[in-house]
Amino acid sequence: MPSQTMHTFIRGTVRGIRKETPDTLTLLFDLGEGRTPADFMPGQFNMLYVLGVGEVPISVASFGREKQLMHTVRSVGRVTNLLVALAQGSSIGIRGPFGKGWPLAEAKGKQLLVIAGGLGLPPLRPVIEGAIAEPGSFDGLKVMYGARTPADLIYTYEYQRWREADGCDLLLTVDRGTSDWKGNVGVVTTLFPKAGIDPGRAVAFICGPELMLKFSILELTKMGVPAERIFVSLERNMSCATGTCGHCQLGPLFICRDGPVFSYPRVRGLFPREGV
Amino acid sequence: MVGPSLSEGVVRLMELTGSADLATGVVDVQAPGSYALGRESPLVFSSVNGPDSPKRYIHPAEVELSKLVDSGDGIESVSAFHPVGKFAFFGIRPCDLRAVEVMDRTMLTPGFEDRVYSALRNNSIFIVVNCTKAGENCFCVSMGTGPSAESGYDVAITELPEKLLVDIPEKNTPLFQGIELKPATEAELRTGAEMVQRAREQMGMRIAERDPSKRMYAAMDSPAWGKVAERCLACGNCTMVCPTCFCNTIIDRIDLRDESVSRVRVWDSCLSRDFVYSAGGNPRLQKVARYRQFVMHKFAYWPDEFGTYGCVGCGRCITWCPVGIDITETVNGVLKDQRAAEEKMEAHPLA
Repeated sequence: MPSQTMHTFIRGTVRGIRKETPDTLTLLFDLGEGRTPADFMPGQFNMLYVLGVGEVPISVASFGREKQLMHTVRSVGRVTNLLVALAQGSSIGIRGPFGKGWPLAEAKGKQLLVIAGGLGLPPLRPVIEGAIAEPGSFDGLKVMYGARTPADLIYTYEYQRWREADGCDLLLTVDRGTSDWKGNVGVVTTLFPKAGIDPGRAVAFICGPELMLKFSILELTKMGVPAERIFVSLERNMSCATGTCGHCQLGPLFICRDGPVFSYPRVRGLFPREGV
Repeated sequence: MVGPSLSEGVVRLMELTGSADLATGVVDVQAPGSYALGRESPLVFSSVNGPDSPKRYIHPAEVELSKLVDSGDGIESVSAFHPVGKFAFFGIRPCDLRAVEVMDRTMLTPGFEDRVYSALRNNSIFIVVNCTKAGENCFCVSMGTGPSAESGYDVAITELPEKLLVDIPEKNTPLFQGIELKPATEAELRTGAEMVQRAREQMGMRIAERDPSKRMYAAMDSPAWGKVAERCLACGNCTMVCPTCFCNTIIDRIDLRDESVSRVRVWDSCLSRDFVYSAGGNPRLQKVARYRQFVMHKFAYWPDEFGTYGCVGCGRCITWCPVGIDITETVNGVLKDQRAAEEKMEAHPLA
């Protein structure tokens, strides 16, 4: 059930700004209308509205127990250019939460693979934080994250805490290294053989560019992870977020309403497929 | 009251102020990419359909959802959409009534009801005229939506020579207070049924396969798509005149006088290049992908999405396509291609 409609906005007041990369930053919001971050499930998204300009769909990056709603935004267009320029104390309109999030209950007790590429990490951050907050809820947490260059890695200030957390492994990779980069170079799938994946008890949550999703699915399947234990978060042009505008359709699915998180068998045949 | 009325050489659905506004005797002659008026007819409901359907009124091409201002302390809503008036659609065709039922499934999904559509649609009544003549581009028989209305109407009329056969569901008898009615005779009912049957038999356009949804999925990679898309201008006319196309977008319109912002919902089209553009890319940059989306949505995705076909066979997209692309030809073409490919596979499985 949507707790929000097309017409009403929650007020979000900027209380924190964290620079992530040259074009990406994280915004922390205090919420109006009595809403709290606990109302927003991992994997769901909100429509962020700049008055007079427009709305963009952005994943929820905060974990429910955190004090502020968190969104990580890269400036790529009209609305996001303004979002990354917001000042402390300024406010925007927020509609949400929308969509179905990660199936955390299904992953309980299993080896949780969190696989992210680029800005695919924010919707998985609350999954990571949730798993760390409740050690023992999963049988191991493997975070595999890739970015274009070391400078494009986000949430770098969290890595040490994540690495030190019980049962959590963090593996990083970049497409192109720099002289001071000592880590892995290559696409995110090059991390898979090093991660200690146990196909018999692994559940994979994946978010990133379509090609990265495609090859991650391919590799995991090859390793023997069953398709029904692979979940992907898909990106489309969400506009109304209530399944009535048609922009985000993928075959018979509305990404905004039926997704954005899908089990792989649900979208197989439609994704990844050119021109659908 | 809204009904067929002649405007600039086209029968539109317009507000009627009296029976003189009705396009009585006007005959439309349609062909792929062509609409013209023909010889006058003695009938009252003489035209088949024009570019308008009830969609124009219950899912308007442009509607202000809300008006917002910056209060200095956040966004404040100063006004919100509220419906004005009620609609009586008079003289619409059975396919258009079915199109409203199709759109209900999109706009009134439980938990996601669209406030604007719901208010306008639920304030409407539908006086349907069964078809006794098939339009040149009609294929409602293939889609199971005509030529007569089976349910969902408030009144259904069948025009016989010199008289109207009127089917009034019990609850709507008050609508006819003060109007002299006679019970229909067996012979009149039979004539009405025969005339509808004639329209059924007359229909020239058809979808060659029954319930083609599953087969359309199989035909997604047919080269026939590309052949049609070469002619497509991606103008979006088909989606504008389609009585079930619901796609829209919300734009912000700023009033320079007081800096208030109107959030306006306007029709949009899956044929337009940037319809699915996002930061992640444009999955349907190729025109063939967009044209295929339009047709696949109607004939394959819709049944899985909403439990009904998205096409009602009204033929408008054929008539109003500037290059005369015929959707029945497309569907039949890709299915035929697919059949040929499958037969080849069966004959030479390793080829």
